[in-house]
Amino acid sequence: MAKLKTVIKHEYMTIVKQPSFWIVMLAIPLLIATVIGLSYIGNKSSEERIKDLAKDLKNVAIIDRSGLINQQVVQAAELQLSSSSREQTLRDEVRREKKEALIVYPDTLQSTQKYEIYLSSDDFTKMGSVTSLADNLLKTSLFLPLGSPEIIALAQNGAESQVTTYRDGVETAGLNEYIIPGLFVVLFYVIFVFSVGYMLTSVSEEKENRSMEMVLTYVEPRNLIVGKLLAVILVTLTQVLFFAVLAVIGYFILQSFGNVVSLPAGIDLQKLVFDPIAIFFGASFLAIGFLMFAGFMTAIAAIAPSTKEANNFSTVFYLGAFIPFYFIMMILTDPENPITKFITFFPLTSPVVTLLRNAVGNMDLLEALLALIVMTVFMVISIWVAVRAFSRGALEYSSVLNLKSLFKRQ
Amino acid sequence: MELMKKSIVSVKDFSLAINGKKIVNDLSFDVKAGEVFALLGANGSGKTSTIRSLLGIYQPTGGTLHVDGRTYTPELARLVGYLPEERGLYTRSKVLDVMMYFGELKGLSHDEAKKFCLEYLERVGLSDKAGTKVKKLSGGQQQKVQLGVAIIGGPKLLILDEPTKGLDPVNRKLLLDIVDELQQQGAAVIYITHLMEEVERLADRLLILKNGKSHAYGSVADVKKQFKSKSIEEIFVRIYDEKSHEVAHG
Repeated sequence: MAKLKTVIKHEYMTIVKQPSFWIVMLAIPLLIATVIGLSYIGNKSSEERIKDLAKDLKNVAIIDRSGLINQQVVQAAELQLSSSSREQTLRDEVRREKKEALIVYPDTLQSTQKYEIYLSSDDFTKMGSVTSLADNLLKTSLFLPLGSPEIIALAQNGAESQVTTYRDGVETAGLNEYIIPGLFVVLFYVIFVFSVGYMLTSVSEEKENRSMEMVLTYVEPRNLIVGKLLAVILVTLTQVLFFAVLAVIGYFILQSFGNVVSLPAGIDLQKLVFDPIAIFFGASFLAIGFLMFAGFMTAIAAIAPSTKEANNFSTVFYLGAFIPFYFIMMILTDPENPITKFITFFPLTSPVVTLLRNAVGNMDLLEALLALIVMTVFMVISIWVAVRAFSRGALEYSSVLNLKSLFKRQ
Repeated sequence: MELMKKSIVSVKDFSLAINGKKIVNDLSFDVKAGEVFALLGANGSGKTSTIRSLLGIYQPTGGTLHVDGRTYTPELARLVGYLPEERGLYTRSKVLDVMMYFGELKGLSHDEAKKFCLEYLERVGLSDKAGTKVKKLSGGQQQKVQLGVAIIGGPKLLILDEPTKGLDPVNRKLLLDIVDELQQQGAAVIYITHLMEEVERLADRLLILKNGKSHAYGSVADVKKQFKSKSIEEIFVRIYDEKSHEVAHG
């Protein structure tokens, strides 16, 4: 027991002490915040965007031969329309860097749906800003006849649908029912991408750096594998806790914004449904699926002689976790389809498919139980194979352990 | 006097086959407390497989292998220090963390392990590297850390597989001094090497393996007498030149 604790502590600390662990952990919420921020910026009115863009682009000339650009919109951006006879002169000024850019809307704009931009440099940021400015000037000019800014925003961004759903004549929570069990799908991928890989690298690095033989002198292979698995589970719990804390912080930030920032597709955090059966199956599929993949990864790392080869072999298992997305519509809408049935029980696809079907509630209790039993059997097999492969292949440094010696009695 | 010494390692009629291939055949020897026992043989002769079987990493096909009177399991880890030929450390971890991990795996408490490791690092001139990642150490420095890992807890049995490989003369002397010291304290040392001058200098007894079979076994003086030679190296070469020369012993 003391050795198991020592292995868990060592493995856990080795992972969480790596700067890359925290960089990735912080990068995910930062990425999400950036996406939310960008979509918030994207929802700002066109006039504001033109103003923002035009702020840094005062030295831009605009020629409109199409007759579609509204003088008012251009002036609101503190820019001026130039005479089309000056095109050549303005192009020369751009070339000599006297002007930052020239936007020319040709008279063929409607038929060709193309306009021209001349830039004084090939700076990527400036290219993006001027293109965005030109695009917004055109769109806002076209939408202006619609009248109020609200109608223009509606035409440009569309509206959000408020869906009310009924089951057996009673109003249900709609999409809000899927959120909690759906979180297990997200969690599975977070765990799969980060933690399952740790099992692979932890074992294969021990082989590659030749510390394996020294370790195996002092610890039973079974204890070593179990210790590594438990450490990875602890790492996963650390990640979940970290993201949960961030989610709570994010929730309160959203609350403080009031109605300014709303979640998509009518998702209302106040109306989330906590169905204990869906949560039980979600948690079970997640835990068993994780252990099954962790077992397979350990076996691969033990069988392969190097980290590189272990990574090559592991691709098959990563594919297994992502292939269900190829059949996503079928999984969500056609539970009786034989392919859906097959990938529900096939070990490599089973965790994701069962989690998805559990999230949308298209799996009855009997099928869910059966899937859980089948997955548990494969989980036990994967861990048995992992321990066996580890015992036989951990000290095989030069070649891949063959299947015959894996299953042969020693 | 020698007869009074306790056997730390006792191997009887040991055979090993892996995937149907015979690796070791009917091998018997023992290693006594306070002696340096040289286990010699060309590459592939079965030395490492014998050690792995002694330490429970491989399962013997026949015979018994005992450490301190029992079949070895990791529960006896504190008794044993092993520096394998294929050795390495967790390169991304700090020196002290790695050493303490092995110390704790051997059954030392956190404090005992830390005390030992700091004292050892001080002795081998690496005290300033305790917080350094292993990958930043030179090859020789890493080897000193590996030896430290092997001797944590003062083992009764120290198994060193080519311990001086790649060491400069200064560090080689330091290592051999440490081995001498452990031997003086009563530890049995199994010493695997291809350097016969080290055998001449250190070993009390020896065993020469060829194709998994014993071809010379006994005290260095007895083996020399038996082969009518003054040099272990010459005996070794002669054994490997001969078609067959098995030694019966008990």
